[in-house]
Amino acid sequence: MKEPGGILKVSDISFSYGNGKAVNDLNMSVEGGTFTAVIGANGSGKSTILKLAAGILKPASGSIELWGQPLESYKGRDRAKLISYLPQLLDINVPFKVRELINMGLYPYDIRPEMTTELAMSMVGLDGKSESVISELSGGERRRVFIAMTLLQGAGILLLDEPLANLDIQFQIEFIKLLEELRSKRSISVVMALHDINMAFHFDKLIVIRNGEVIASGDPRSTITSEMILEAFGVKVKIYHQDDGTISFGY
Amino acid sequence: MRNITLIVIVSVAVILASVLIGPKIISPFSIDDISKQVIVAIRLPRVIVALLMGCALGASGAVLQGILRNPLADPYILGISSGAALVAVMGILLGSTALGLLTVPVFAFVGAIVTGLLVGAMGYKKGGLLPERLLLAGVGLGFLFSAVLMMILSVSTDEGLRRAVLWVYGDLSMADWSLIPYGLFFIIVGLTISLLRAKGLNALMLGDDIAYSLGFSPDSERALLFVSVGLMTASAVSLGGIVGFVGLLVPHIVRFIAGSDGRVLIPLSALMGGTLLCFADTVGRTVMAPMELPSGIITAIIGAPYFLYLLRKKDVLGERK
Repeated sequence: MKEPGGILKVSDISFSYGNGKAVNDLNMSVEGGTFTAVIGANGSGKSTILKLAAGILKPASGSIELWGQPLESYKGRDRAKLISYLPQLLDINVPFKVRELINMGLYPYDIRPEMTTELAMSMVGLDGKSESVISELSGGERRRVFIAMTLLQGAGILLLDEPLANLDIQFQIEFIKLLEELRSKRSISVVMALHDINMAFHFDKLIVIRNGEVIASGDPRSTITSEMILEAFGVKVKIYHQDDGTISFGY
Repeated sequence: MRNITLIVIVSVAVILASVLIGPKIISPFSIDDISKQVIVAIRLPRVIVALLMGCALGASGAVLQGILRNPLADPYILGISSGAALVAVMGILLGSTALGLLTVPVFAFVGAIVTGLLVGAMGYKKGGLLPERLLLAGVGLGFLFSAVLMMILSVSTDEGLRRAVLWVYGDLSMADWSLIPYGLFFIIVGLTISLLRAKGLNALMLGDDIAYSLGFSPDSERALLFVSVGLMTASAVSLGGIVGFVGLLVPHIVRFIAGSDGRVLIPLSALMGGTLLCFADTVGRTVMAPMELPSGIITAIIGAPYFLYLLRKKDVLGERK
């Protein structure tokens, strides 16, 4: 399944951790200003795909192009201005204050970009927390600190591995709204590994992964079917179409 | 900012005082020729050596706790000091005078660098230094070298024994101008590398993946920082033996006062480490004069209670309250 070229183009990549293939001949293209959701069961390879796309893991075969150039040809700082990655696990007991950690988003820059630390903090609802130590914060607040750092980094492509995990529903919705706001201002692109299929309707495109292969992709409304869910997750669900275009599930 | 100014003022005061205070207290307002002689030939080189050692230990502790992501790491955990001690003590007991006054420092430095390279080689896998492997390799080699050292000391009846034991607990009494240029050179190189890579150190503490995403190459950042720690620790050990506490706890104390950003943490840990060791050495050579207490014992006696007090008061290790 070939994809047309985008600002981030992943072509025929394969990768293995040593015990069988984790990703197999995967293709993915990210267009400017699009939101892509990656879903799949635990261990299906969602995180691996995001790490490959970020350049953290090197594919055994295939190529990844960022703005038409091989990803590995970029210098670290130049790459960091274009693409950023936020891992799923952030339960690190780092001794930094909120402000110190968020400010690290400016490391790729010599000259401060437009976004300020204060703005990034208020975007994720952390006003007044700048002097708090990370370890004193709740899991959800910590995640928002890292999200603020990523926003301050200001890359055009955000690869986010389940960023909504341990966020209250209110912040999940606010975060998606925030990303949409950034898209209308700066045309950012987002690739997000998702756990909650319900959130997929906020995305332009859905990629469904099983055993490191794309088994379905396209508009979430047409892609999410009970057959697809059976194939990807191995569970039988009933899908109810709501009047507002969303879907609810019956288990 | 106020806290940092305070640290600098206290440090300068302590360093000046340690030049004047000793078995004989010298008044800065009436310096005669004998006092001048004492200051230039004995006190000043000793204060400078203490300052350099403390700087190197404080800074390398701050860096090492970051790259190993372990708040309990100190410069000696990598076994570098045990390797240095083993070779240096062998030099002392063999009575080698091949290099004059520089014999023991050079033996110690060689032992430290060889151990550092061994630990680095054992900690290397998949194209980079892995923190857990480094830590375990260092602890393992450290135990081995310490055991061999103890074996040598326990069967030794040599007259060098007392000196060897003193050296192991931090002996600055041999401090001499001839040592200073070498120590200064390696410590400046190590400190410069670690200051230039301070942002990388901060990023590494968030995990390799985030460091990569911020534009760093985690493997080369860690390797450079490891080299800086190796140089600073080797220099410190070769200048005056093994002084505990400074490298472990000074960075924690600086974190309470000035935060964890490496660009502030490393220089302030260096300054505070140097100051603490100057102070400890002054106390060690004054309180029971003409006998001397090893500096490592004083740093632990002064520092440990203060650290325990801070531990009760503040969140030291970044754990949840």
